[in-house]
Parts: sequence; structure tokens; C-alpha cells
Amino acid sequence: MDRRGASGCGSSAHKPAVLAVSVGGRRILSAVNPAAEALGLLPGLTLADARARVPGLDVANADPEGDAAALLRLAQWCGRYSPWTVPHGADSVLLDITGCAHLAGGEDRLGAALFERLARRGIGARLGIADTIGGACAIARGGGHAVNIVAPGATRDALAALPVRALRLGGEMAAALERLGLRHIGDLYRLPRAALAQRFDAALMTRLDEALGEEREALSPLPPAPPRWTRRQFAEPIAARDSIEAAIRVLLESLCRSLGEEGLGARLLVLTLHRVDGESASLAVGTARPNRDAAHLMRLFAERIERIDPGLGIEDMMLAARRAEPLGARQLALPRAGQDGVTADDAAMLIDRLANRLGARSVGRLVPRAAHLPERAQHFVFAFATGGDAFRADQPRPVRLLPFPEPIEAIAPVPDDPPLNFRWRRRLHRVARAEGPERILGEWWRGEREAELLRDYYRVEDEDGRRYWLFRAGLYRPDAAARWFLHGLCA
Amino acid sequence: MSRYAELQATSNFSFLRGASHPHELVEQAKALGHRAIAITDVNTLAGIVRGHIAARELGMRFVVGCRLEVEAPGSVVAFEATNESPEKFAAGPMRGVLCYPTSRAAYGRLTRMLTRGKQRAEKAKCKLFYDDLLAFGDGQIFVALPPAEIDGDFADFLRRLAADFPGHVYLALQHLYRGDDARLLHRLDELARETGVPTVATNDVLYHTAARRRLQDVLSCIREGCTLAEAGYRLNAHAERHLKSPGEMARLFRGYEDALARSVEIAERCRFSLDELRYDYPDESGGHGGTPQARLESLTWNGAAWRYPDGVPEHVTRHIDMELRLIEKLGYAPYFLTVNSIMKEAKRREILCQGRGSAANSVVCYCLGITAVSPEMIDVLFERFINEERREPPDIDVDFEHERREEIIQFIYEKYGRDRAALTATVIHYRPRRAIREVGKVLGLSEDVTAALAGTVWGWYGDAIERKHVRDLGLDPADPTLALALELATEMVGFPRHLSQHVGGFVITNGLLEEIVPIEKAAMKDRTVIEWDKDDIDALRMLKIDILALGMLTAIRRGFDLIAAHYGKRYTLATVPKEDPAVYEMLQHADSIGVFQVESRAQMSMLPRLKPREFYDLVIEVAIVRPGPIQGGMVHPYLRRRNGEEPVTLPAGKDELKEVLGKTLGVPLFQEQAMKMAMVAARFTGAEANGLRQAMATFRNNGTMPKYKDKFIQGMIANGYEADFAQRCFRQIEGFGEYGFPESHAASFALLVYASAWIKRFYPDVFTAALLNSQPMGFYAPAQLVRDAREHGVEMRPVDINFSAWDSTLEIEQREISSGGDAGAGGEVGGIKEVGRRALRLGFNQVKGLAQEAMDRLVRQRGAGYRSIDDVTRRSGLDRKSLERLAEADAFRSLGLDRRQALWAMKGVEVAPPEMFAARPEPTPDMPAPLPEMKLGQHIVEDYHWTGLSLKAHPLSFLRSGLARRGIVPARELRGRRDGERLTVAGIVLVRQRPGKGNVVFVTLEDETGIANLVVWIPVFERFRRIVMGARMIACTGKLQIQGEVIHVVAETMRDMTPALRRIGGEDGPAQGQLELAIHSHDFH
Repeated sequence: MDRRGASGCGSSAHKPAVLAVSVGGRRILSAVNPAAEALGLLPGLTLADARARVPGLDVANADPEGDAAALLRLAQWCGRYSPWTVPHGADSVLLDITGCAHLAGGEDRLGAALFERLARRGIGARLGIADTIGGACAIARGGGHAVNIVAPGATRDALAALPVRALRLGGEMAAALERLGLRHIGDLYRLPRAALAQRFDAALMTRLDEALGEEREALSPLPPAPPRWTRRQFAEPIAARDSIEAAIRVLLESLCRSLGEEGLGARLLVLTLHRVDGESASLAVGTARPNRDAAHLMRLFAERIERIDPGLGIEDMMLAARRAEPLGARQLALPRAGQDGVTADDAAMLIDRLANRLGARSVGRLVPRAAHLPERAQHFVFAFATGGDAFRADQPRPVRLLPFPEPIEAIAPVPDDPPLNFRWRRRLHRVARAEGPERILGEWWRGEREAELLRDYYRVEDEDGRRYWLFRAGLYRPDAAARWFLHGLCA
Repeated sequence: MSRYAELQATSNFSFLRGASHPHELVEQAKALGHRAIAITDVNTLAGIVRGHIAARELGMRFVVGCRLEVEAPGSVVAFEATNESPEKFAAGPMRGVLCYPTSRAAYGRLTRMLTRGKQRAEKAKCKLFYDDLLAFGDGQIFVALPPAEIDGDFADFLRRLAADFPGHVYLALQHLYRGDDARLLHRLDELARETGVPTVATNDVLYHTAARRRLQDVLSCIREGCTLAEAGYRLNAHAERHLKSPGEMARLFRGYEDALARSVEIAERCRFSLDELRYDYPDESGGHGGTPQARLESLTWNGAAWRYPDGVPEHVTRHIDMELRLIEKLGYAPYFLTVNSIMKEAKRREILCQGRGSAANSVVCYCLGITAVSPEMIDVLFERFINEERREPPDIDVDFEHERREEIIQFIYEKYGRDRAALTATVIHYRPRRAIREVGKVLGLSEDVTAALAGTVWGWYGDAIERKHVRDLGLDPADPTLALALELATEMVGFPRHLSQHVGGFVITNGLLEEIVPIEKAAMKDRTVIEWDKDDIDALRMLKIDILALGMLTAIRRGFDLIAAHYGKRYTLATVPKEDPAVYEMLQHADSIGVFQVESRAQMSMLPRLKPREFYDLVIEVAIVRPGPIQGGMVHPYLRRRNGEEPVTLPAGKDELKEVLGKTLGVPLFQEQAMKMAMVAARFTGAEANGLRQAMATFRNNGTMPKYKDKFIQGMIANGYEADFAQRCFRQIEGFGEYGFPESHAASFALLVYASAWIKRFYPDVFTAALLNSQPMGFYAPAQLVRDAREHGVEMRPVDINFSAWDSTLEIEQREISSGGDAGAGGEVGGIKEVGRRALRLGFNQVKGLAQEAMDRLVRQRGAGYRSIDDVTRRSGLDRKSLERLAEADAFRSLGLDRRQALWAMKGVEVAPPEMFAARPEPTPDMPAPLPEMKLGQHIVEDYHWTGLSLKAHPLSFLRSGLARRGIVPARELRGRRDGERLTVAGIVLVRQRPGKGNVVFVTLEDETGIANLVVWIPVFERFRRIVMGARMIACTGKLQIQGEVIHVVAETMRDMTPALRRIGGEDGPAQGQLELAIHSHDFH
């Protein structure tokens, strides 16, 4: 099953679209949609060539890890049809439906239903049902229908006409077989076993035997659900706030334990509730730093429990850490020695509580950014965002930067000496000491206005010992009065 | 008026740092009234010649210097004490020091220091230690550059430097608008007083005008690998790093007037000029005594006697005398001796070589055997070669067999020493594609957009990114970011990006080369490269010899060897029978595949029109299909006159031109003619004429062209020529400038045209074998060479383990080895039958992925022949991969096995190292396996995949019935059709070519019957762009155009037939992963 084929690039399937990977400095097509294939763009072509041939080609980056993760989720999702599901290779999911098919009304109806559901989720798939894993894989790949079912005991005949590639062989071995003219699985039946075994890797015989049921192949089902989520079903549906809170607490403790084992802390928790009436609801909680303190996380949930509408009752609850980041092992519950010191953790917890109460987009902080223009040298981020450069230390900056530079009147020798005095908010300040100019230009690539922006900054101290950060906008021009501003207050 | 000289200017030869060309800095400094300027690039002198030239032209003082990045004392001691790699030790802080030599000797020490630093670092890097300053610092003036943080360490460094070089050390003061400049200047000034080091003001210039700040930001981002938005503090906050006027500098350095004045003082102390570099020719006396001139004269006269066994004609004697006198006067004799000794060595090693280019304008070169063009063949224009007024050294280019040139290069290193010989550099400049890609990335344009923009200048397109193309991409050229990207990319085009090695230009000196110019390691092993390129060398009048590689010489030498081996006649370039009419007859029919120079589409359509009848026609043929004559509109007039369709007229009453243009029927075709016309008709002096030629091609292309143009056209009009004629003449000269093709050069090439055509005409088997063994070269892939050979009646035989050698070989007899059973006794296998012409057996070198060493072993062990697969695996000692490769290449036919059966059998055999054979049991015979038979079509596909060609059939023969149903005409039938008829041809794409900036694309299609030549005009090309560029098989409908023997199809519509090729492998198409027909076209621009 293709997670998104190449057609899921967000555009219509009629427009040529490709996925590209970087291979040794070159960008190579890794997957193409039918429209692109029709234009002769095949995987393996360089992106440059593809572009030269089809200007305006839709290109997205291939994401093998994302694909694998999605396949895993899909395998989990398939759990509704069988307890034994597992991703297989890069693009398949195996389901052991032994004893399950009748629940769906037989193999054909199970197949049809599964296909239908997948289609509704926008997933193109081909299904194969056979006696053996190898047989099912082969018929799914080579069978030519959406749902291919091999009758019990008919595997050998059903596979004869399929290409050898359908046997889950490595590309090289398949190519070697094809080069010998052995293109169909049936061609292999006709050759002496010994002669084949002598010439090819043992994998060939193994795969063939597996497909034909002559060798047992066991399906190793998915490992127990990943520890980053935990689930609880209730014998009696619950609806009371206390019960819900207690249930969340239990889930949180269990989740935090398993996060601890992995050395992780949660950044985003999602609680999913399934109600008796079949509806489901979810509640998300974020944190500013990785956290697995159940009590802290409980507080975050507790503040929002009333938003949960239990309806006629909740029968099932699942808590998942959607985002988790490394968090070293540490003692969580010990009382801190000096309660007066505010640690980064305390700040983070405060941010968590504020942000979860007011909304993540209502709480923010300033982080530094490498930019010459003072007003761009820091920026506002929402509570849960990370990152930010270090504040610059080599150039003196005022402790307080005014939100907007305030116009002042100043007298200064031309062309660029520091001012002798200036009037700010109606008060005249005589400059006792001054330093400058520090010349800062706009970011010319942002447009014409920026390209013309020029400021000469001065640090000045008035006769009262107060220090200010002033600038003159633009170079001195004899024909125009200089425009001065006050931009910050220094320590 | 203040006096100031900028002593710290970084040019764009500090790659990705400086944002102005050296000449721009010099010109700006001059305009601002600086007393002098120094270009101080980081650890390099690569840009100083350009600066020097620009300064010389402006009458400006130029101070030679550079900025050294030196590892301060500390780690060096540890390094030398333990003799271990210095990286293991904590590096001391890097210190920037400007260094200016005060004398020629000090300059030599500076270049040696840089050479030392470059040789201990990786390529393009330089690693200098403080000890280097001590070793080479005598006579230098040092200016210490203050670091961002002025601390005790720096003070110590400064003290130490001052103590080591008393009176030669200064401290730089800079006013860089950091805000705390006053404080900084004060501190530095105090430090200077304290250490007794005088200060000097500089502006640490990165660009000549403030406008270049944007480009400098872009360069910084490229260097740092970030976008402008991400760059942050890696960019400068302002645009103050430009050259400032002395007045402005005086204002900034109020209170430090002495520091300002010292800039001029240092410039005065550093009087060394590059003009002092005196180039010394290598000593070629070779222990013979006597002056080089005497030796040259005796060699020349001996050579003349050899060239003219019946006595040297009078006019030749006169010419030789004249040349020798001039050579003596200018002191060039050693140069000729050097070239002569190199060529003598090549001849001793039996490496084919031939001088070309302007040297062919010298009779002395002819007598010495450096060139092969006799003065009888062409008009010798010695001025083109050596010009007294120009005083630039002569330039001799020599071609060697491409496979053996390295021997000569190493010989030169050996003979003259690595300290006296090195390759010249080539400056790799930013080209539009690269520029727009990198600028776009820095501006944050998506990769899609930059790739698309770069794509518009993709190969076939010319130099600039045209607005129209931007619009064609669906992008708005007025979009501010896009406009900015285009503007900055345009500004960046022509900036040096890195230094590379010249293809073969050697500089050889008598003294130490490293005392003239820094030498660095080249990317290739065992090569050393100087920092200056060809133009720099020329400007400094240093001698250069171009040791070039020419594939055709290899092929011709192989051809002569094969003729000697198989036909018992030994030829050399000089003894090939001359002026054989059969050779010209062949060329007149454009039967020239594989022939040197005249095998391209354009040449092939010219040959039947020009109809060469004698050697001089070949000279014209080579030169006429060139941008110069084409852009100058000279081709058609010449052809018309040649065919008698137009009278040969010269501008009325202009007999002076008859001498110049007579032999080209009044149409100027050669560079020499253009120069002579400038001299005769426009009254240029010889030096002016040459300056005109150079103005186009060199880096000093700073607007001198219009000057020459006016002078040329006005001069001609003043002499009574028509303006139109003058204009046309000049247009042609402009064409020459870019793609110069002088007569002397064309004549040297024409010799090889004739020699290769002669071999093709009389020994097509030899010719094809020689070409196949010299690949890659020329215009056509082996498949076309083989096809052409077959059309000339050469029997081709496939690669076979029992008959092939590594190279393609010629076979006399019909041989056969029966598979399995006894193949006769001893070496007697099969019957021997002499055939008139040798058959050509393809060599293992045609098979992809085989190693020569392994195949040589296979051949050595072959003895009487391999009798079975098992025999091969046991005796050949080949590994499984090579054996399977041979099976894939279908090389087991002599054992009665096709590739599939061989592969099957091969997979069943155990391959073991030879020493284990003894212990191995005899293999059991393999039961034949019931493998499906491989269809012929699939064999063809496999043949193409593994050997690039198939002798079994042409791929299109499998499609012919289908093509015929669609009314597609086989290529062979085009000849019988009507001119102007509309028809459809189809074939696999052999060659795509878009000449120059032309408005046409040539596509060559091949089917099983022959070749069809398409002419695709640009509107059609644009419509079918994807097909023209991507399809491997094309069906093209268009109008047939027949002009004599030249047949084109002028394309109207095209269809991509590539899917049809997939059907060749089998009825149901290849399975996934099965090979598809692999045909690679050659694309030329």
C-alpha cells in the first residue's frame, strides 16, 4: 500500500508530481505519480533532467522515515480485522486473518471491506489473500486486481503466471532471474531444484518454498503497543468528574513510568475518549519543556476536565504522548533545598500552566535572534516553541528597548558626530559623554524601504548621568534636517 | 588635500570575501585620488597581476602585498620538536598580518613563504606559522591587524613581531563604524606607543564602492552556507567597507594624522613592482657550449636542409634569416630550444606530437619540426607569432597523444625540476547558471525556482538569463526578490570562484619559479600549479608552453601501427601520400564519420558544398564552419564565389586587399586576414592589430573594443571602402575574438584532417579499430563508427573470450573453435583463410565494467583457446563478476553458448582462486537447463546495454513493419524523394546540437537504413522541447530539404517514440527491472 503514492503531494493526480531524494549531491526521483510516469519520468531519473523535460513539475521531498512511521500506524489501524498485524517491507502490511475472516462475513467480504475503508482514507491498495504469507504477497503484487484471493490449496497454480519479482526477492536476484529468461514463478517450477539452488542465493528457494507452503513462515505480529500510549477500558461507563480525573491520573502515572524507562519527557499529550454512543473526543495538553512529572501534568489536565462532555458515559480512554523529547533521569519528587531560587523548571511549569489555561497562543516569551537592527534582534515565540540564538554580548545594547523609536530633537555637529544635546518628551538633555556612531543598515533584501534604511546609533550620557541610546536616521544631508530618535534606555 | 593610500583592499580573489575585481579597486582608488593602492588578498597573490596591469594603464602606484593569516607562536615549537602533524596540538590564535615586500628579493621570499604554506596544506588552502615570518620576513613590511578583542595576547604578539623585525612593523588602525571606534583607536594608539610600533590607517576594504555591499553579503552567505535571512551577525551591519576618499579618511582619523600619513610612507618604502620580475629562460645549452642563439641557428639550418632536401628555396632562406634576426634581437632563442627539446623527447618515446596555433606562422618552427605546416601551404604571418612592438613572448601550443601526454608532463617536471616548472592556473569564473543558483539560494528562493532559472541557461542557451525565459517559466521577472536575484547574479558573473589547473600550459624558468609566483599543489597527483593564469603570464611576459592532449593523434598513431603490423607499410604524419584525389573524393561526399574536425553535422553539410580538392581547401573547411565567418556573414559569399555563382570582386581599385584576400576569393575567413586588413585597409600598426585581436579575448576587456571598432571602420572608410563592407569585416573580427581560428592553426589541423581521412579511405578497418581504441573522442559513439565501418565493407566480429584482446584488433583469418570437444592439437584451430581486408574484432574495452588487467590475463592464459565454461573459469583466473560480465556481453559464442546459456552455466560453476585448482575435483557436466530462449530483440537490447552497440541487428529493424504502417520513411529512401516533400522519419537520437547561440537545433536520427538529419527551428524546438531533450527515439514530420548531397528534414512536429523501444525486448515488453534499450546521445553545445 502506498502511503500517499506519489499522488498525495497535495495536488491532483492529473498533474505530474514526483518525490525526490538526495543521493550523493544529486537529487533523484524516488517515486512518481501516474501523470508523471506517463510523461516518461521514472524513478531513478535526476531531478534536473526531469525538470528540463517537464517544466513546472510538482516536486516534494521523499520521507522514508515518515513513510515507515505511517505504515506502522496503518498496521495498528488494521488491528480491527485481526489481532496479528505487522508492517512488511517498505510498503505492505501483513494480516493473519486465520479464524477472523468469518467475523467479517468471509474472506471476500473482509477483503472488500478493508479495501473500501482504505480507499475512504485515500489510500490506494492492492490486497492478496492466500494460504501462505509468500503467496498472499505474491498475489497482491502480481494478481492484477484490487482484491486477489487464492482458493485454499490452489497457491501453486495461482502463482505460476506471476512475475518472479512477486516473490519478495531482492531487486538484484529478480533481475538475474529475468536475465535468464525466468520471468514467471512457473518458470522456476520447471527447473531442477538442485540446479537452481546451486546458482542462486538460498533466499530464492526459501521464498519459493514459503510461497508454496513448503516451508513454514511465521508472522511476527506487531510488538506490544508502543509504550508512549496507554489505554484503559471501563467495565461500567464513567461520567463523573472524579472518576474521570482518577482515570486520567492512573493513565498518566503509567505513561510517565514508561516514558521514564525510555528517558523521554512529553511535550504534547493527547487524551482520547470513546463514549458509549460511539462518539469520541480528545483533549490536548502541551508543555514548554519535556516533562514526565505526573502530578504536574495532572494539574494541566485538571484545569480542563470540565471541557470534557462525557455524554452517556465513557467506556474507553487512551492517553498518548504525541511528542516526546529526551529528558534525563532525575529525581522528580524530592523537595528542593532552597525554595526561594526560581529554576528554569519552575518557569517552565508556570508557562505550562498559564499556557494550558489561557491557550498556548496566549503566552509567549522573547528569544534572541541574530539581526543587526535592534528591533529585530529578539522575537516573540509562543509558549511551547523552542529555539532562539544567544543574545549578543559584544555590542552594548540598552537594557530597555522602546517598542518604537521616539522622535527627538537633537543638535549635533555634521556629518556624524554625537549630539551635543537633545529634547525627549519635552525635556532638554545636555550630553555630557557620548560614543558613536554605530552604523546599522536595513536588510536590503527585504525591499526598497529597507535598502534605504540607515541609522547611526549613539550611546549618550546626559549631565544627570542618565544614559540613552539615540540614533540619527539617514546620512547627513545639507539640504534636509536630520531626523533623530531615542530608541532605548541604558543602565 | 590629504594624502592617503589604501593598503588593505581585499579583491574577489579572496574567494567569497572580496566583492570587487582588482581592476575596479585600482580604478576607484585612482578616481578618489589615492597615492597608491595595495591589493591584499588572503594568503594569495592570485589577483595582483590584474591589479598591477590596471594600475600601470592608469599610471597609478601599485603596492604588491598580501594578507597573511599566521598561526601565532606556541604550537609551532611543539610541532617541530615532535615532528608530528600540527593538528594534534592546540593551534595558537590566528593573526592577520599585511605583508609588503620592499624589494625584488623580499618579494621572492614572500612567494616562497606562500608556496611553503600551500604545500603543507590541502589544495586551495595555506597554512602559515610564525616561524615562516621569521624565515622569509627579511625586507618585508608588516602591518599587524588588530583582532576583534584587543587583549594581552595580541600585545605580546605585536611586541614580538616588533622585536623580530625592528623598523618594519606597523599597527593598523581602522574606523569601522562599530560605535566604539574612538575608544578602539585610542587603545590601539596607546598600545602602539607602549610597544613602539607606529600606526597606519587602513579601511579594511571589501569592495570598491558601497553599492557592492549587497553582493558582498551574498558572497558571505554562500561562504557560510546560509540564506540572507539566516545570516545574522555573519554579515556586516553596514556598507562602510568601501574605498573612501583621502578627505573622508582624514575626517575619520582626526587626531591620528600621523597614522594617515604613514600609509603613504609605507607605499613609498615598498617600491617593488611586478615589472621588475625578469623572466629567465631555462638554460638549454645542454653542455654544448655556445650561445642559445648559435645553437638555435645551427639547429634551424640543419632542419631546413632536412625539410628541403633539394636545397632550401631562396624565399625560405630569407624568411629564416629574418626570423632568426628577430629572435636574436628579442632573446627568444632559449624558448625555441626548450620546445624543441620537449618535442625531441616525445619523438624519442615515439609519442606523436604536432605544434599548432600561431607557431605555425614561423618557418623556424617548421624547420625545427615543431610544426608541420610548410610556408608553401599558407601565408606565413610571423607578426602573429612574434611581434617586436608587442614584446610579448611567443606562444607555442603542442598537441600530444592524449593517452601519453602525462609522460611528457612528468618528463618536464623531471628535466626542469618541480621548483622550475609548473602548470599555469585557470581562473574558474562564476557562470550564469551557477551564479543564479547560488544567489537564488541565498535570497531564499526555492530550489525549484533557482533550478528552473538555471535551467533556462541550461547548456544550449547562451550567457545571460533573459527576462523572456523567466516569464516563460511562469515567473514574474518584476517580482522584487526575483529581480534582485537576477540583478545580483548578473553582477556576480565573471567573479573568480576558484583556481584550477590549466589544461596544459607550462611555465618553465631558469631560476626558482617559487621566487616569482607562489606554487600550489594541484588536484591531480604529481602536479603543481602556479597562482597565475595565462593572461597574467602573458602580461608579465613569461614564457608558456601548452602541452595539450589530442585524441586524434592517439588514433592516428594507432592507425599507423596497425597498418605496419597488418599491411607491412610504415607511415608517419610526414610520409602519408599527399594530395591523393581519392581522399578528396571521399570528403566531397561528406563521407567523414570519424575524420578529425570535419565529422560534425555542420562540417558534413559543408563538405559537399565546398567540395575540397586540395590541401588548402581543407584549411578553409576547418576554419569556415566557425562562429567568426558565420557571424560575419562570410560563408555564403565564399561558397557562391567558389562555385562560380558570383564573380570574385574586391572593392574597386583596392589592389592592396588582393594580396590579403586573394586566395580566399576576396572573402576574409582567417584571423590573420582580419589583422592584415586592419593593417592594410584601416592603417593599423602591427601592434594595434594584435591589440585588437586581444581586446576581445582577455580579461582586460574593459571597454577598449569600441575604440578599435571606430578606428577600424573609420580607417577603412577613410581609405575609400564602403561602410557596409567595413562593418561586415569588423563583425567577423568580433567573431574571431571569441572563437579565434587563425589560418596557421587551421592548417595544422588540416594536416590531421588529411591524415585521418587518408587512413579512413584506404584502411577503413584500421581506421575504425584505431578510433575504437582511442575512445572517448570525437563526435560519434562506437555504434556509429562500427556502422560506418560496415558500410565501408569492413567485417565486424563480436567480442569473444577466445578471439578478443583488450583493444579491438584486426583478424586475418577466419577462425573457429568448436565448443566442448577437442579443438585440434596445439594452436591449430579451425581453418585459416586469408581475406582481402582484415576483419575487425571488437575488444573487451567495448564491454562495460571490465578491467584491462583481468582481460589481459584472460588473453595470456588462453593458449589454444578455451573449450568450455569450466575451462575458462579454471584457467583464466577471473573473478565471478568479470565472468558474468563477459557472459552478459555475449562473449561465449565460440563455445556455442548465447548469453543466457553462458550466464546459467556460469552461475553453476564454482569460481576459485587459481592455486586451489589442483585440489578441486573435475566438475560434473551440467545438464542443459530448460531456459526460455532469448529473443533476438532482447539480445539487441542486452548488446546495447553491455557494449553500447550490437552487430546482430539494428533496434529499429524490429519496429520497421509498424513504422511502415504509419507511413514512416526509412532514412535511406530520403535521397530518392522530392525536395520540399512532407514526410515522417523516425530513429534513435544520436546527436543533439545547438551551435553557439544559434536559433536552430540539429538532431541526428538513426534507423536501420541510415541517418536522417533534422533541422529544428527554435519555435518548433520550444514546442517539442521535452521530446527533443528527453526522447531516445523520435518520429519527426517535416519538409524535406535537398541541396545537392545535403539532405535535411525541417521539423514541423515531433513525437516521442521512446515507448516503442521498450517493445524491442519482447512482445510483452520488458519485465520490471529488465533492461531497456540503452542509447546515449551525444549532446553538443
